[in-house]
Amino acid sequence: MEVDPKDIDGIVNEVGSGQNAVIPVLQAIQNRYNYLPEEALRRVCEISEITPARIVGVASFYSQFRFQPAGEHIIKVCVGTACHVKGAVQVYDAMKRELGLEESEDTTDSGDYTIEKVNCLGCCTLAPVVQIDEVTYGHVSTSQVGTIISDFESQQGGDGKKQYKYAGGGEVKGEIRIGLGSCCVASGSDEIRDSVRDTIDRNGLNVNLKHVGCVGMCHQVPLVEVVPAEGETILYSKVKAADVEQIVEQHFKPKSLLKRISNKFLQAADTIRDDSRWMGVERYSLDVREKHVSSFLDKQIPMATEFRGVINPLDVEEYKARNGFRGLARVLKEMTPDQLVTEISESGIRGRGGAGFPTGQKWKLVASTKSDIKYVICNGDEGDPGAFMDRMLLESYPYRIIEGIIAAGYAVGASEGIFYIRAEYPLAVNRVLQAIDICREQGYLGKDILGSGLDFDLSVYQGAGAFVCGEETALMESIEGKRGFPRIRPPYPAVKGLWGRPTLINNTETFAQIAYILKNRAAAFNRIGTASSKGTKVFSLAGKVARGGLIEVPMGMTVKEVVEEIGGGVAGGRSFKAVQIGGPSGGCVPSWKSDTPIDFESLNEVGAMMGSGGLVVLDDTDCMVDIAKYFLTFTQNEACGKCSFGRIGTKRMLEILEKITTGKGTEKDLENLEDLANWTKKGSLCGLCRTAPNPVLSTLQYFRDEYEAHIKGECPAGKCKDLIRYEITDDCIGCTLCAQDCPVDAIAFKPHEKHEVDNELCIKCDGCRQVCPENAVIIK
Amino acid sequence: MVKLKIDNREIEAKDGSVLMKVIRDTGTEVPSMCYLEGAEHFTSCMVCVVKDRRSGKMIPSCSLNVEEGMDIISMDEEVHEARKTALELMLSEHVGDCEAPCQITCPAHMDIPLMNRLLAQGKFAEAHRVVKKDIALPSVLGRICSAPCEGACRRKPMDGAVSICLLKRFAGDHDLNKETHWNPDKADDSGKKITIIGAGPAGLAAAYHLALMGHRCKVIDRNKLAGGSLCKEVPRKELPADVLAGEIQLIEQTGVLLKLDETVDADAFRELTASNDAVIVAVGKGESGVSEWGLAMHAKGVEANAKTYQVGDTNVFVVGSALKPSKMAIRVLGQGKEVSFSVDQYLSGRVVTGEPFMFNSRFGKLQLAEHAEYLKESTEGDRLEPEVLAHGFTREQVMEEAKRCLHCDCRDMHHCKLRIYSDEYGADQRRFKSDERVMCTKLDQHELVIYEPSKCIKCGICVRITESYKEEFGFTFIGRGFDVVVGIPFNETLDRGLKKAATKAALACPTGALSLKE
Repeated sequence: MEVDPKDIDGIVNEVGSGQNAVIPVLQAIQNRYNYLPEEALRRVCEISEITPARIVGVASFYSQFRFQPAGEHIIKVCVGTACHVKGAVQVYDAMKRELGLEESEDTTDSGDYTIEKVNCLGCCTLAPVVQIDEVTYGHVSTSQVGTIISDFESQQGGDGKKQYKYAGGGEVKGEIRIGLGSCCVASGSDEIRDSVRDTIDRNGLNVNLKHVGCVGMCHQVPLVEVVPAEGETILYSKVKAADVEQIVEQHFKPKSLLKRISNKFLQAADTIRDDSRWMGVERYSLDVREKHVSSFLDKQIPMATEFRGVINPLDVEEYKARNGFRGLARVLKEMTPDQLVTEISESGIRGRGGAGFPTGQKWKLVASTKSDIKYVICNGDEGDPGAFMDRMLLESYPYRIIEGIIAAGYAVGASEGIFYIRAEYPLAVNRVLQAIDICREQGYLGKDILGSGLDFDLSVYQGAGAFVCGEETALMESIEGKRGFPRIRPPYPAVKGLWGRPTLINNTETFAQIAYILKNRAAAFNRIGTASSKGTKVFSLAGKVARGGLIEVPMGMTVKEVVEEIGGGVAGGRSFKAVQIGGPSGGCVPSWKSDTPIDFESLNEVGAMMGSGGLVVLDDTDCMVDIAKYFLTFTQNEACGKCSFGRIGTKRMLEILEKITTGKGTEKDLENLEDLANWTKKGSLCGLCRTAPNPVLSTLQYFRDEYEAHIKGECPAGKCKDLIRYEITDDCIGCTLCAQDCPVDAIAFKPHEKHEVDNELCIKCDGCRQVCPENAVIIK
Repeated sequence: MVKLKIDNREIEAKDGSVLMKVIRDTGTEVPSMCYLEGAEHFTSCMVCVVKDRRSGKMIPSCSLNVEEGMDIISMDEEVHEARKTALELMLSEHVGDCEAPCQITCPAHMDIPLMNRLLAQGKFAEAHRVVKKDIALPSVLGRICSAPCEGACRRKPMDGAVSICLLKRFAGDHDLNKETHWNPDKADDSGKKITIIGAGPAGLAAAYHLALMGHRCKVIDRNKLAGGSLCKEVPRKELPADVLAGEIQLIEQTGVLLKLDETVDADAFRELTASNDAVIVAVGKGESGVSEWGLAMHAKGVEANAKTYQVGDTNVFVVGSALKPSKMAIRVLGQGKEVSFSVDQYLSGRVVTGEPFMFNSRFGKLQLAEHAEYLKESTEGDRLEPEVLAHGFTREQVMEEAKRCLHCDCRDMHHCKLRIYSDEYGADQRRFKSDERVMCTKLDQHELVIYEPSKCIKCGICVRITESYKEEFGFTFIGRGFDVVVGIPFNETLDRGLKKAATKAALACPTGALSLKE
């Protein structure tokens, strides 16, 4: 596409011409051209204060920005933790083979597709996940990549948006709730919503259709909850659009249908409750009060996620009806800022971003620093590859977070707040923007809020793809339009933060819990949790667990309780090996330490970390060296490159791990790895690289034997490609499926005979093992 | 004013002063590379770390201001190790040599690239001075040296090594053929007496260097002619007698006394060790009698320290083939130079450690793709061969051949902070050695400076300087993480990027990444 200077002038006019506008300007240019043409960047420098050094420095720092045109469709292969342990790398490789891409290429010659790895799509329970544009495919196996592309192509050019009309008049018979969290949307809840509307509309039913945020049962998505005016609430899981009609008609007997058809559906409805007789695949109805479900929900205490699955994210009236903004109103009316700070301190809440700094103390520090301008920042730059709590909170409870932020502004004396949200979370950005508008209309934002004299307003700043920007000093640099290089502390943001002003930065979840404290008072919060870790913590529970999803549990619950009672134990009859907590900054809690309570101190003691709240369950098929390498690959890739320990230390550690996982490691390498891990921890500038060695140190502490096995040329879990062989046992029935699937012809096509794998040719894509109907393909 | 403790000393410092400077003011050196006076700190290299006694944490002292109650340990084992580790991490990706491979390979450690550059400019006398600093007999060696330096020359796999040996011969002959000759300045007389037994290349070299250090040297040889193996084993055709005699005469001009036709037996040896401050045994291969001098022997020769050449802690030193037979004149001549450091240390009562060698960054072979980069600082063309070997090169040929030198040595060799600190902290470049390395590139697009990104430590000093000078393009960081590079935006050339701040940035660069051409 030709770059028209006028377009660029327009963008600069609209977005801004100061050095600080550089990121939004780049985002706008990329939206326009789908990459950053050099001509466009040079034009920006001509007409604005933005210098070439700044624009190139910034554009090349953030991974959102592309310097080459992307294909028409973007294929995102999620390589988040949950997807990784379920074979995302093989899926990525298979997809590249399918598209005929070389190692170094990411875009097809035709320009149709660009493939990229993304760190977490927030659909951990559907792992492994592939997203093509707006369509998400879950539970993808290597042999399905071709099908996915043809399915995607068959959907292109289909019918546009449908118009619906609602049935009018008469008595409301009940409510149908549809989850619109990311997992639900990804699994097709949009289609289901359309189908429900369609069914209601066609049959003239008088039923409310309601959108609710994340229910937390992401392993069963998409979810449809039917709440009849009378009778029991029924929750349907893994619903397909085609099922909707039957579900709706079972509960709300349609007026307009012929009796004959109606009878037919009633019969069908009988079968709905019986999983085995339903002819569809992977779906069954689920009664919320059945045992495993209630244990999934009852052990949890929703505070940040209060009214989950019930409340419409953007319905401000409903939020108010459920006592929303009442806490804020009380605070503004009855409390001085000092009293509010005291209340927060008394609640005992600690920051949910990972390090667990006492929130009250932080507020006090900002409040006591004198300045005519102060800022409050909500840190929503979640980038942990196995966690998506912030995204869910922003998408599902925007008002709750806003309420917390306004109160913080009041407490510390700030009149401006900023949401820093990753651009990769478009739904969250959208919802928050809408919620901010509604709050302004309602008088919760703006001048003289609720007649209290408080002036406070909020804006949204979109991050551009840099994990390090979750680090508060890097985040502020980013808002100032710079590369996301962290700065040394002190000075702390509370003293000298954004634009040199005192700044309060709290995590999204912290603000959501603040809203709970405002409403229920400090004591209610303080009652829950352990002596030093109060309240609850939201986790994304994923990996090899029977029931994954978002959970909110009281601090102090043990790892075991979470895995067994909430997660329903390890899936697929495998044995529980460890839980990885805290993602790339965290560590492993091995099965024999699963009595460890989940609180800040206990996790630190066992060498893990609360981190941002990823909780990935690992079983005996997971290789701990591979897990360590996985996380280090992530942090090494995300390291900013500022300090020598972080920049080079993480790289050298990763090189040693690569040696070990390919069977080239030595005892000396193990020593060097440990030594370097300790120095990187001690010497790095900021939290990202100071904690980056944790996954390595923690696995070395508990699973050193696995490292040693690799040095001897063996991967006990059968994960590390270079150390395994594929073999076919005598169970082979000669069906040829494996031979057909093999992308490199490593299995000869021999109908009715036992097949064999030529390991010289084999690329370890795992396709044969997945397609084999007899489980005759094994890893040795 | 704030009160703080540094190494258990209570001190007061002005509010807002930088911790590193306050520590330096107490007299303790703190290394630093990324710090730029007058600009905002960047906290990148991490070699300035000190320890906070209260938390036990390592903190970069260039980036923090003093605070009331600080309690700092400026140096202990852990701080030393932290700084060393930071240096070693930087070294692990530092693709650049300090000294060129030829100089490192040369047993006499001669500054070959510098000689080449001077010869290329026609500065023959200056080139001779460079040679004479390390080589006592340049015209001799210029005829007979086996030239291991040429084996290490980076140009060798391209189109033949630079003809170093013949260039050196020219430099030596240039002086030898003059009416008046040049010798380096001598240090003041130390009054110390040294006898060197053996007037071969090792003994003559030892005498030459020790004489220049101010010591009174006497060389004894049982033959009637000085030169040892140079007279006996080298054909006259290769080494004319007048060349050898001429250069030995030049050595005598430094004050070295030659006593020929004098044998040394056990008694005489004992007497020499008693009447001299030091005795150097340089008698050559298999000289009879040595075994009776009461020195410990091994199969190949006399026992002595392999690095210092000292026999035990006595005043006797052994070099050359007496130590271990060698056919390479330059090797034993180099030993003669090396032992002069040991003897000088011994005579002045210092610890005897031998010739001091500075840290050298080395990256090994050039890859094929890098040949073109290195050729940028050189001229095209195959290695020249003289028409008649015995005549050597003409002046024109010397200048032409010397220009073929690739300038592998680093321009910043003597000021590079990475090298100086690596030397000081005993850093080992191989500790974090990686199998992969970035490609060497030389950006030679500016009249004043040259930029070699593979030597950059990403401290951002040049980025900060070009920004403050409001360069239109300037330097910027490009990319992120390990792969970040410092470059000119939009791939603009160096001369477009650095219109105002080139010299300033080159002088401030802590390594030889950005350096002044001259």
